[in-house]
Amino acid sequence: MSEAILQARGVSKSFGGLRAVSEFSLSLPARGLHGLIGPNGAGKTTVFNLLTGVYHPSEGEISLAGESLLGLKPHKRAAAGLARTFQNIRLFAELSVLDNVRIACHLRTTHSMGSAILRLPKHRREERAIVRRSMELLEVFDLAGRASEDARNLPYGDQRRLEIARALATEPKCLLLDEPAAGMNPQEKVDLRKLIHQIRERFGVAILLIEHDMGVVMNLCERITVLNFGQTIAAGTPEHVQSDPKVIEAYLGTE
Amino acid sequence: MSHETPPTPGLVSSLVRGYMPFVVAVGVAIVMQVVVRPNVDPYPAKLLLDIGINCILAVSLTMVNGFTGQFSMGHAGFMAVGGYASGAITYYTSMRVWGAGEARGGVLSGMLGGEGLPWLTVGDGLFLFSLIVGGVVAAGLGYLVGLPSLRLKGDYLAIVTLGFGEIVRVVIQQTSPVLTSAEEVRQATILQLPTHVGGSLGFSGIPYYTGLFWVYLGVCVTLIVAFRLKTSTFGRAFLSIRNDEIAAEAMGVNTTRYKVWAFVIAAFFAGIAGGLFSHTLGVGLSPEAAGFLRSFDVIIMVVLGGLGSISGAVAAAIIVTLLPEWLRGVAEYRMIIYALALILIMIFRPKGLFGVREVWDRATWAWLSRRKSGTGARGGARE
Ligand SMILES: Nc1ncnc2c1ncn2[C@@H]1O[C@H](COP(=O)(O)OP(=O)(O)OP(=O)(O)O)[C@@H](O)[C@H]1O
Ligand SMILES: [Mg+2]
Repeated sequence: MSEAILQARGVSKSFGGLRAVSEFSLSLPARGLHGLIGPNGAGKTTVFNLLTGVYHPSEGEISLAGESLLGLKPHKRAAAGLARTFQNIRLFAELSVLDNVRIACHLRTTHSMGSAILRLPKHRREERAIVRRSMELLEVFDLAGRASEDARNLPYGDQRRLEIARALATEPKCLLLDEPAAGMNPQEKVDLRKLIHQIRERFGVAILLIEHDMGVVMNLCERITVLNFGQTIAAGTPEHVQSDPKVIEAYLGTE
Repeated sequence: MSHETPPTPGLVSSLVRGYMPFVVAVGVAIVMQVVVRPNVDPYPAKLLLDIGINCILAVSLTMVNGFTGQFSMGHAGFMAVGGYASGAITYYTSMRVWGAGEARGGVLSGMLGGEGLPWLTVGDGLFLFSLIVGGVVAAGLGYLVGLPSLRLKGDYLAIVTLGFGEIVRVVIQQTSPVLTSAEEVRQATILQLPTHVGGSLGFSGIPYYTGLFWVYLGVCVTLIVAFRLKTSTFGRAFLSIRNDEIAAEAMGVNTTRYKVWAFVIAAFFAGIAGGLFSHTLGVGLSPEAAGFLRSFDVIIMVVLGGLGSISGAVAAAIIVTLLPEWLRGVAEYRMIIYALALILIMIFRPKGLFGVREVWDRATWAWLSRRKSGTGARGGARE
């Protein structure tokens, strides 16, 4: 069995009486590409929020590279190597494209606030390294030309890609993408597919992907987990889940 | 950062660049005291002094309400604490050591300027020490207030800080009268002295050390710290919290920690401003200094300047200080005009004069050219 980088075992979460996620398990190998699908309200985003520490599970165990993440705040999990994007884009809208990425570089800096106020050499060195690394990332995402624009003025597709660039700036081991193709046109979706492949090769991250677009999911992912009403109704290879009668029913049943 | 780093520039040159602005700050402050002060009348000089103190208050509150997007309503509370703490230190130390509370400053202290005095005296050293202690006490209190309340979301901070200011006011009201004879002061223990700061009558007798030198030194240092923070990785972390706290956490920003930091730094400078205020000729330090109205003044400056803009806060501090002068004939309507100005700004410039930007940022003025070219409706609310 290959080493799992991100592991979840029997994770559950209820909101009041609603069991939003029930007994969720996942084993994502290093450099793996795993899909998480399901009808609206199935609990996919809630799984992301549980993994990244926005919510705390009522039961279950979550670990990254063998270290338990339970009880850690989101910023600690980011430091441990878990980065994400958001379904409803959450960029730092008033700040520039470059600053959005630079902020995500912050957690890997080591100089103190005093050294920033006195502009000590270590501060300058790290600031320069941040700029260089951020511009490299923007280059990869074709956003370098818009580095000084406000993030909110970018077209929708660019905003989605900027969110991915920002997440990568935290130097993650594992990247969680929540519906990155939402709102993109067919050409952008094709490009995104290539981009996700490229990200995995270049940055060596494992990727967990929520996506409604079956073309994107089935083509990209090695394994897929299907949620419905918080329950995992199928898990396996794309071919396997596609032919699973419970999956077909869940999707047809809700249309 | 784990990446290969570019070669370090010369240590000396970067140290010089790092400290140069502070040297310039001292220069500016000396010019204000030695060149400007003797050449203007006492009244405009007092206005310059008020502007300076308000700048320190507005710029420091900008770090909380502007950078991190928290809403603190108790800034005057920190100012009053700093003012009382430093006032008690200079007054009672002078009484103990010299047997009298008067200032023993040099050329750089006070508003009158002295012929034939030395540049700096032991009294100035005492004053500087008291300012810093006042700032530290305010910052410590900021930490105590901020740590629990900044963990809470939403408007709790506004309520807690509002309550904090009122508590400071009421506690100061309960203190005992100032000890006015050297004999009494010598008999009292160190721990008793801080309780003798005048109660609701106010703390009179604080030596008049404050002059344009000290105020503008404070202004410059506050500005340097604020700008350097804003343009550093820490400032970006602050701003990210204000933009989207959830995303900031997810990107590894320890939001609680930085909210507390911003709060503590702001409280420190408010404490310094308080010390400068309490040592000013003709100022009666009273518990009302901690009151809500004073906090409200500072909030108006920060909102007017544009929540997050340092130069905006400075501009607003100048405007708000001078406004009563311009409106001297209608002084009773000051609050109405304030309110009207705020409403008008919220309608026409909902993000304040400069928003989060600085005066010299090109984007600050983009709305002008947009209006001219007739494409004004852009950049609406985004969910
Ligand atoms: N903070 C919350 N409080 C109460 N209920 C919540 C909360 N967050 C999510 N839910 C509920 O949990 C269920 C799962 O929501 P979730 O957002 O995880 O679905 P999803 O699979 O991401 O759906 P979509 O495809 O629409 O994004 C929904 O019924 C939702 O209303
Ligand atoms: Mg969702």
